[in-house]
Amino acid sequence: MAKYDAIVIGAGNGGLTASTALAQKGLNVLLLERHNIPGGCATSFCRGRFEFEIALHQLSGLGTTEMPGPLRMDLDSLGVMQDLEFVEISDLYSVQNPDGFHITLKPNKEQILDELKNAFPHEKEAIDGFFDLVYQYANDMIGAFIFRDPEASREKYPNLYRYAFKPAQSVIDDFFTDPLLKAVLSVYWGYLGVSTDQMAFAYLAMILFQYIVFKPFHVKGGSQALSNTILNKFLSHGGTVRFNCSAERILTEGGTVQGVVTGQGDVVRSDYIVSNASPMVTYGQLIGEEQIPEKTITEVKSRQLSTSAFTMFVGFDCNPEDIGIHESTNFLMVNTDMTINNHDRMRRLDIDDELMVLSCYDVSDPEFSPEGACQTNIVTLKYGEPWLRLPPQQYLDVKYRCAEKMLQRVQAIYPDIRAHIEEIEVGTPLTHMRYLGHPLGAIYGFEQQTKNSLFFQPGRFTPIKGLYFAGCWTGDGGFEPTLRSGMAAARSITKQIDNKNV
Amino acid sequence: MKKGIWEDFDGYDSINEEIKASHITASKRAFELDFADQYIKRLHPDRLALKIADIIQETPTTKTFRLVSEDNELPPFQAGQYLSLLIEVQGIRTSRPYSISSQPNQIGYYDITVKQVKNGLVSTFLLNHVNIGDSLTVSGPQGNFYFNPLVHDENMICIAGGSGITPFMSMIREIVDRGLPRTLTLFYGNRYADDIIFHEQLTHISDHFERFRYIPVIEKASQDYQGQCGLITADLIKEVAGASEKATFFLCGPQGMYDFCLPQIEHLGIPRKKIRKELYGPPLDICKDPGWPKEIERDRLFSVSVKNGQTISAPAASPLLVSLEKGGVVPPSICRSGECSMCRVKILSGKVFQPADTPVRKSDSQYGYVHSCVSYPLEDLEILL
Repeated sequence: MAKYDAIVIGAGNGGLTASTALAQKGLNVLLLERHNIPGGCATSFCRGRFEFEIALHQLSGLGTTEMPGPLRMDLDSLGVMQDLEFVEISDLYSVQNPDGFHITLKPNKEQILDELKNAFPHEKEAIDGFFDLVYQYANDMIGAFIFRDPEASREKYPNLYRYAFKPAQSVIDDFFTDPLLKAVLSVYWGYLGVSTDQMAFAYLAMILFQYIVFKPFHVKGGSQALSNTILNKFLSHGGTVRFNCSAERILTEGGTVQGVVTGQGDVVRSDYIVSNASPMVTYGQLIGEEQIPEKTITEVKSRQLSTSAFTMFVGFDCNPEDIGIHESTNFLMVNTDMTINNHDRMRRLDIDDELMVLSCYDVSDPEFSPEGACQTNIVTLKYGEPWLRLPPQQYLDVKYRCAEKMLQRVQAIYPDIRAHIEEIEVGTPLTHMRYLGHPLGAIYGFEQQTKNSLFFQPGRFTPIKGLYFAGCWTGDGGFEPTLRSGMAAARSITKQIDNKNV
Repeated sequence: MKKGIWEDFDGYDSINEEIKASHITASKRAFELDFADQYIKRLHPDRLALKIADIIQETPTTKTFRLVSEDNELPPFQAGQYLSLLIEVQGIRTSRPYSISSQPNQIGYYDITVKQVKNGLVSTFLLNHVNIGDSLTVSGPQGNFYFNPLVHDENMICIAGGSGITPFMSMIREIVDRGLPRTLTLFYGNRYADDIIFHEQLTHISDHFERFRYIPVIEKASQDYQGQCGLITADLIKEVAGASEKATFFLCGPQGMYDFCLPQIEHLGIPRKKIRKELYGPPLDICKDPGWPKEIERDRLFSVSVKNGQTISAPAASPLLVSLEKGGVVPPSICRSGECSMCRVKILSGKVFQPADTPVRKSDSQYGYVHSCVSYPLEDLEILL
């Protein structure tokens, strides 16, 4: 019977980095992936002459060689940096509305302040005050957590203690009166999926700070290149990958992992398993609820799932500037309300005044699409559950109706786009359920509220000995957190093994 | 365990209370995963077990197989999509894509219409050895060749060749049944008049439905043939369809038809975004590809060893996927035309030939992944499945 030092279930971001970090340590690792390509969300697909990016909009945490961010350090330690080419995105984001409002923020604090003060002169002091707080908060956070200050205290890090769990909206309301300005500063809620009154200020502050300091990036070849490169490193360390092969069961005995029954019916033994699948699937389908302590099951069931997404992939027969696209990351806004009121729209099987993001990779990387062509990835967030109530026969109608409305929204900003469309493909929450296997197509894992953050939840740890999680379900969603989550899972396993060998 | 500093953050206690409360209100039921899984399967099943309810002889060399579900309802599809038939013939496990020729506004059954391919393994089997009541396994509906209401013009100009009529049959039937506000002009090329599939139905529909025009074009017509002869040229298209700026072109047929018709359409000044082309299998003869290395004889055999698996023998001019299947190695496959990437394998050593326009992901190319349905061995290979 085959036996491995570790088995990793799922080749998403977390599964890829976990398996590669373990193989790098000399472990004999089996990586199972039910699809025929690695990456999970971090993949691409071809239509006509286009290769469409699925999920990566702005890679965070990379930084530069002079000032490396946490993700760069992890990718460096995996030895994949030299095989990847990252492209710095020149804009933080633009915000546009159909009334002609258009502001572009650069990933540079001084430029952001100038730009905002220029557009909102009546909020000058508040703008300074807000960004001072963002920076002070981030510095507190770094001091206390990144440098693990053993003497952290309220006196030393007052902003951390005061603001970490405070809802972002209430901080914004304390500073500003102009609803448009408030909205412009809040649009990154879309990268977390929770409305500004549900989201901790910690998230908003850190996401702004991170992108400004470490800059937003894209990768040549798209996120598939990232996945393929990490997998290639895994193979070069002697790792074994089986595509088109799911895990059917995780075998446990006395609360300890024993191995995996694969979708091809064979049993593979191992003392260590990293699950890149959700806790629901891992506990409910792969292990069986009855084998998991009730406390753990209750904990999982008490947590809400994040939103899914409605995504349109569009290939154009022209350059971005020909259709008026000048920035990589564009938030298209109609309604300035970013609170739970607007959030409710995410449960409707319709598109009206939702916030949406339109990313055009070709602006920063003209080689991304074929010469003389470009592509956009347009997303608005939608919960998965209402889609499961659709009679299957109505699915296509609803999908096209939403897509048509999304196109109209985009046309209100970029009037010429429709005439230049060469390829178009639409993904709904059901598409995410199908390809990611995430319950309800939840793209960020659990709802990214404070109560689901690592401060309050078990993260990668499980009550089953030898079993760890990697991926968005361990904490935060998005590329940087999921890539790093696999590194953390691998560290936990190597630590266990080292302890055993002592 | 040491207390975390966050336990002193403002608001910690109330969040903790919220979590405790949520544990009390948490669902006591099992994880509701199966419902969503089952729902997704109703839309996109991996496999469908179907039974042949009827077999209709369309022409001497073509039959329509009417397929009904053995257990459940059939998933919805878009006119123009296909099924991938999974089948074992003469001990070879393989797959074939067949467009659905029935209309999507009814899903009591799917029709697939199969024409005899010369020396075709699967078509020969289907046309000669399959009977009413037999079971077939197919994939869910697949493919990207359909009318997209977001961008396509309601004036459709369709060009079919031979068995390439099947997706159009579905489109035409849907337009008529549902009274859709589309105009469809069909140029249907065949070598001989006897080859035309669905001729009577198409004629009947065009007689009764003014927004459908049917122009059969016969390449090798007999002296007394009344209709359009020759090939589907730019002049013919212009003559019948008039100015075609506000039209989307749909093409489905063999490689030879694309080679001839695409330049004709370009000659009309139609931009590429207005031209949709269905896949039609691997190139008929890869040795005729302009990039094919002349020094490699078509029958030359190479050995292909699958990492941690068996070694098979593969002729140069056969798609790698076909040679693997013949050797009992069966990677998943759907479109068998280079596009869907299901049969993706990694070339660990050795060289393969791939037609120039094969849509392979950039980073796949960089790391040696190929679509085995349109890859041809030029050396001995080692591959990773």
